[in-house]
Amino acid sequence: MRLYVEVAKRAFQRQLAYRTANLAGLVTNAVFGYLRALIILALFEARGDVAGYDVTGALSYTWATQATIMCIALWGWYDVEETIRSGDVVSDLARPFSYLGYWLARDLGRAAYFFVMRCLPLVAVAVSTFGIPLPSFPLGWLAWIGTLLLATVASFGFRMLVNLTAFWTADARGLGNIAMALVTFLSGFIVPLPFLPPLVRDVCLALPFAAMVQTPSDVFVGKLAGASLLAAAGLQLAWCVALLAACQLVVAAATRRVFVQGG
Amino acid sequence: MDGLDAVGVGPPTLGRSLPEYVALYWRLVGARARSQLQYKVSFALLVIGSALNLLVDLGEILVFFRFIRSLAGWSLPEVALLYGFSSSSFAIAEALAMGFDQFHRNVVHGTFDRTLVRPLGAFFQTFASDLGVRRVGRVGQGLLVLGIAAAWLGVDWTPDRAAMLVVTLASGTTIFFSFFVIGAASSFWTVQANEVVNIFTHGGSFITAYPADVLTSWLRRFVTFVVPLAFINYYPTLYILGRSDPLGLPDWVRLLSPVAAIAMVLAARTVWSLGVRRYQSTGS
Repeated sequence: MRLYVEVAKRAFQRQLAYRTANLAGLVTNAVFGYLRALIILALFEARGDVAGYDVTGALSYTWATQATIMCIALWGWYDVEETIRSGDVVSDLARPFSYLGYWLARDLGRAAYFFVMRCLPLVAVAVSTFGIPLPSFPLGWLAWIGTLLLATVASFGFRMLVNLTAFWTADARGLGNIAMALVTFLSGFIVPLPFLPPLVRDVCLALPFAAMVQTPSDVFVGKLAGASLLAAAGLQLAWCVALLAACQLVVAAATRRVFVQGG
Repeated sequence: MDGLDAVGVGPPTLGRSLPEYVALYWRLVGARARSQLQYKVSFALLVIGSALNLLVDLGEILVFFRFIRSLAGWSLPEVALLYGFSSSSFAIAEALAMGFDQFHRNVVHGTFDRTLVRPLGAFFQTFASDLGVRRVGRVGQGLLVLGIAAAWLGVDWTPDRAAMLVVTLASGTTIFFSFFVIGAASSFWTVQANEVVNIFTHGGSFITAYPADVLTSWLRRFVTFVVPLAFINYYPTLYILGRSDPLGLPDWVRLLSPVAAIAMVLAARTVWSLGVRRYQSTGS
């Protein structure tokens, strides 16, 4: 366990090296959040309630998705695919610890960095520009951070599966881009899932992608509390277990037939 | 063409004419495109992926209009017309600017040296180094939405409106393309801050899918007078729909997209040449 904590720490520290890049990223995320919020305001000009969200709820939902964008990291994560293409994956697999555990620890370290250096500043921007209400202290925060952690693990499981297809195909990125474009919508990142037609909404809520964005964002807004919070977090946990188990199976299958590139 | 050569500060070039440049462009880019097309499955996946990316934006608009009849005074087909203009010009610009997409690597690794010693302008070489053929999915999708929206609105394609359509697509593409060039040129100063340019490229594509009326007044002035995003589609669309600017700018402002595009080209050209002059290669 200490090993994984160390791995996570290193991943956290690695990000500290890119100070200017991360500051540029923060500015970019903040501007996007601002623009997205303006469109939400225009939507609510015509009516006071959309699918159970009032204007404050929809604004804070949108800012919550924007603030956690880098923690959950839905797009453009090909770290594992790169090691498979280069052949470095062999030394990772040969190491005397869990391959999946190593990458999960690394990803959580990365996510922790972005929570502190990206997510919290963006929440501060949202509060100061749009007066977004914060979750209650300490229970609301605890629930938000807890569901955000589960969301990150679920997202990691999904991203890992996409990356692992590189063992069989040279097109992991092509597939990944398609998957990630779909997930952007199906997770509730673009619009809250209740905005969708009832049938589509119900299907989306049952899929693992809702666990990645919709659930933690609704917790931030305060729409999920008590029993419904426990049910949603339970579903998140179930998806985490299922996705990680799937990853483990795929890793096992891949190592049986691994064909190392690079010689 | 002296103009093209002057953009890249390279060795003196043999005097080439525009047709020669065009032929050279197709030859360089053709080789690149053929190599991309060799991997048919990869290519197909990339086409689908790029079309889906923009569909996500359209999806957002469609979902909003489940609940409202007009957004900031614009109906669904009117917003779709804006979206069609912005997404097709963005996609064409992105495809044309593909050579500038990963340009920062050339600066980081010092491989830009090679470009500078070849007998062609650095700008032209970078431009001709890649063409995003796979973006064809996005371009097609954008034009399709544009066509459907225009048909739905029953736009009467009088000669002036038809001319406006072409001029708008050309100007919008040029404005987005200039942002991509400025983004690439920023690597001459720092490669750490590249993401900020996304505000104008991807952010521009996102916000121009909506009428400028959703913006706060200072932001609206900003996208009209400072960074001319509103000329990509908003003002030309007002003209095509026969509307005046709700904020009371004179009607001729709606015709200024080409002026905005030329201003952006000049800005991009200045930043690019300053950057090339600043380039010092890497150590080791």
